[in-house]
Amino acid sequence: MNKENNRFQDIGEFIPEPDDNIIICRCEEITKGEIRAAVHDGMYTITEIRRYLRCGMGLCQGQTCSKLVKNIVTREQRISYSDLEPATSRAPVRPIEMKVLGNEIGGTR
Amino acid sequence: MNHTADVIIIGGGIIGCASAYYLIKKGLSVIVLEGSSNIGDGGSSRNGGGVRQSGRDSRELPMVMWGIKNLWPNLSEELGTDVEYVQRGNLRLGKTKKHLDILQNLTDKAVACGLDVRMIDANEVRQINSYLSEEVIGASWCPTDGHANPMAATLAYYKKARELGAKFITGVEVKEIRKIKGKARQVVTQNKRYEGDKILVAAGHDSREILASIGIDVPIQVLKMECLVTEAEPYMFEQMLGTAEADFYGHQTKHGSFVFGGSTGMEAFEKDDGRPISTSIGASCICRGIMKYFPALSDAKIVRSWAGWIDECVDKIPVISPIQEVPGLYLACGFTGHGFGIAPGAAYNIAELMVEGGQPTVDMAAFRYDRFKAKI
Amino acid sequence: MKRYDLIIIGAGPSGLSSAIEAAKRGLSVAIFDENSRPGGQLFKQIHKFFGSKEHRAKIRGFHIGEQLLKEADEAGVIVRLSTTVIGIYKDKEMVVRTEDAVEHYKADTIIVATGATENMVTFDGWTLPGVVGAGAAQTMMNLYGIKPGNKIMMLGSGNVGLVVSFQLLQAGCEVVAVVDAAPEIGGYGVHAAKIARCGIPFYLSHTIVKAEGEDRVKRVVISEVDSSFKPIEGTEKYFEVDTICMAVGLSPMSQLLKMAGCKMEDNPIKGGQVPVCNKYGETSIPGIYAAGDVSGIEEASSAMIEGRMAGILAAHHLGYCNEKEKNEQLAVLDKNLDSLRQGMFAPKNKGKKIETTEEEIPVARNLLKKGFLTEEEVERFLRVSPGTGVHPVIECSQNIPCNPCQDSCPNHCIKIGEKITSLPVIDKDNKCTGCGICVASCPGQAIFLVNENFKEGFASVTLPYEFLPLPVKGAKGMALGRNGEPMCEAEVVEVKSVKFYDHTNLLMIKVPKDMALKARFFKADTVI
Repeated sequence: MNKENNRFQDIGEFIPEPDDNIIICRCEEITKGEIRAAVHDGMYTITEIRRYLRCGMGLCQGQTCSKLVKNIVTREQRISYSDLEPATSRAPVRPIEMKVLGNEIGGTR
Repeated sequence: MNHTADVIIIGGGIIGCASAYYLIKKGLSVIVLEGSSNIGDGGSSRNGGGVRQSGRDSRELPMVMWGIKNLWPNLSEELGTDVEYVQRGNLRLGKTKKHLDILQNLTDKAVACGLDVRMIDANEVRQINSYLSEEVIGASWCPTDGHANPMAATLAYYKKARELGAKFITGVEVKEIRKIKGKARQVVTQNKRYEGDKILVAAGHDSREILASIGIDVPIQVLKMECLVTEAEPYMFEQMLGTAEADFYGHQTKHGSFVFGGSTGMEAFEKDDGRPISTSIGASCICRGIMKYFPALSDAKIVRSWAGWIDECVDKIPVISPIQEVPGLYLACGFTGHGFGIAPGAAYNIAELMVEGGQPTVDMAAFRYDRFKAKI
Repeated sequence: MKRYDLIIIGAGPSGLSSAIEAAKRGLSVAIFDENSRPGGQLFKQIHKFFGSKEHRAKIRGFHIGEQLLKEADEAGVIVRLSTTVIGIYKDKEMVVRTEDAVEHYKADTIIVATGATENMVTFDGWTLPGVVGAGAAQTMMNLYGIKPGNKIMMLGSGNVGLVVSFQLLQAGCEVVAVVDAAPEIGGYGVHAAKIARCGIPFYLSHTIVKAEGEDRVKRVVISEVDSSFKPIEGTEKYFEVDTICMAVGLSPMSQLLKMAGCKMEDNPIKGGQVPVCNKYGETSIPGIYAAGDVSGIEEASSAMIEGRMAGILAAHHLGYCNEKEKNEQLAVLDKNLDSLRQGMFAPKNKGKKIETTEEEIPVARNLLKKGFLTEEEVERFLRVSPGTGVHPVIECSQNIPCNPCQDSCPNHCIKIGEKITSLPVIDKDNKCTGCGICVASCPGQAIFLVNENFKEGFASVTLPYEFLPLPVKGAKGMALGRNGEPMCEAEVVEVKSVKFYDHTNLLMIKVPKDMALKARFFKADTVI
């Protein structure tokens, strides 16, 4: 499952682009430029980008931005779109108030 | 690419990345091999973010205190990335007399090591943090404790080490460590052999399997712990929080979200399919625990829960040690779920130790790999 | 903890269909859906579906939803609404959220039928209020009765973009243009024709470069693109709009499957992250199935069949159905599904350049570029000369699996045949009575009744009309051509609204005789 990925391959320099200031992750307000720069900082996977910048950590948990982020990251690394593993999906798939999550019916072994 | 370096590090979590950083700063060449596809995919990205001295085994105190005094305050600047380090104290809360006894015990031992921690009563607790419920009857209070962002910190070390020339490779399955003429030198992976003068194993709970290949074992058991995070909330408090019985711990992050960890109490008996994922009851349990202390958070929305494995060492403190019987081999694992705060200190010192003729700044005798004795 | 034979996540077309299939074989079935209304996307679909009778063709989406719900209810399926499955855990346990608590359930089999979410594209200003997904706009209009905006630009010319554009017109919004970076219209020609005849222009090989405005969209700038989709300088066009709808594709909502541990793949043809499954929906975890858009973006008709397959598999897995029955049923459904996956828009033909129809007629290129057939193209496909009386003119020029017209004519004037993608042919021997049922039945609103000899010097054109206010007999106005341009004066001579037509009204207009094959829409003069 895991493909070897060396983190010192030459992916070129970070060259600023005119649309770098477009917001990509709306929940956390992360821009295209920030995502592109993060790749050059060594963040090659969607999970690393997420942990480094917070894109995909907001209320929608990446439902709006994941494809957009993946496109930007693969393009920056000059790899094909399918070469990158998407982020993990975790519970709860919808935001839920603490008092509701704590009000459990039937949670026994 | 060259497969040789002065040091081969197995494990790309915060220990591995930070060690790589300190080693490369000392002029050694480093290759870091990480098993998963992400840097810092183990405990480093799943913990509660505590950077604390209080509540620890007193054997850990010298190293963690040193790290908090000398490394943490300037870490963001040094690494060029905001690791969100906040040093605004740690409240370890108690609800029963038994809790307070536990806390007092820990406090006494810590004071003896020179830590500024003390027991406080319910009033003082609520002066420090007004959101706590009436159920809290006391706490230990350590003003020099704090918290940080573990994901940012791990990736910050990685980024800087990489910038300085450390070579990182992810998706590497380490199959074997081999001795060449009496010294540990080779790391055999699924399709390559790496060679170094020294090898550091910092692979969390995977360390045991890797060490087995070279006839070394450490008494570690793997336990699953669970965490959750809320959406961003208006600012409430800055302290790190914990409890005497560890039914929850956490803090409010720079972002405004609350990160909390906890346990169901059945961790040792949980089965899993090899993936560190939450149980169906963990998050609910943690929520109930939190709400008992912070009724004000009842309406906060949980956006994500996750789990991770801690490598619990039998005596609850890590192994940070050269392996004398295998010259060239070093070990830094078994951090038992509280490796984040101590990581910079541990990595710094193991790097010092690994330099030829080097001496660690902090005495590491307590962390020796051969310290384990039978009870009689 | 309650344990069901089968828990289905999602009460949309595939979820309900799988529930019915399983429940009627005796399984205890519960469906959990996070919405307060069941039916998934069906309840927003106010247009008539394509396909054939077994695909429930000619029926409006929301009626199909009602039918499925009734069948599920009769089969004893428990449908829990406003019940969100927040996680799937080991041993097929799930935690669901009801209003103020969470409940635990276990299942022996799980069918995940959670559908999809809308994609976004980015451009300068895309985060301004007023930029919405086309599906979101559809929900606003069709479920909540709220206009998404007043002046709208639609980005995306696939079926969603075309169908929603038409619905926006029906809701009283103005659609200023449909824009697509592709060189040809992505959705059905008949859907494009419906809006082209209302005057909506298509800007293909164009993309949005900027949305302007302070606190909401006020203006949008589009630009032509070259073959690598880069904007060509100097080709900017400006539109005053308050809303931009994005119909740029869907992504499966497969998070629960991923969480459950199913092997996943990132498949661009299927729309993104999907579980690796066989054609019946079996995932890598025995007892967990995926059906509908979550297993690959398609449409409601295929979702229903996939749901049924998964329901049968679950039944078989638990011993409620034997091997023989399972195989027989799956074979029938497979054939059914396959018949939908034919024709010009079949998944297998995606990306291919189609030059001729199955009948070897050169494809109508203007329809693909501008959204309407030229007169020459109409001639090419008519294949029948006008008779002396009223006769149908079927402006259907693409091979799409669809045949309600064939079944609709009481005199069997229209023939399609076994292969439902075939273009309809008018049987010269049978007599058209002008009843208009075919006009009302065509889901693409592509059939017109024409009588060149209606009156001295005048022809009549009967067209399908689904707008309010409905013109009255005697109303005067302009007849519009296929491209929405006013062609001539017209007068409404008859309005037929029959229950059987299911809200497709028939408008018969009187136009000059030479407009018989040109007049295709009616715009009443505004009367003060």
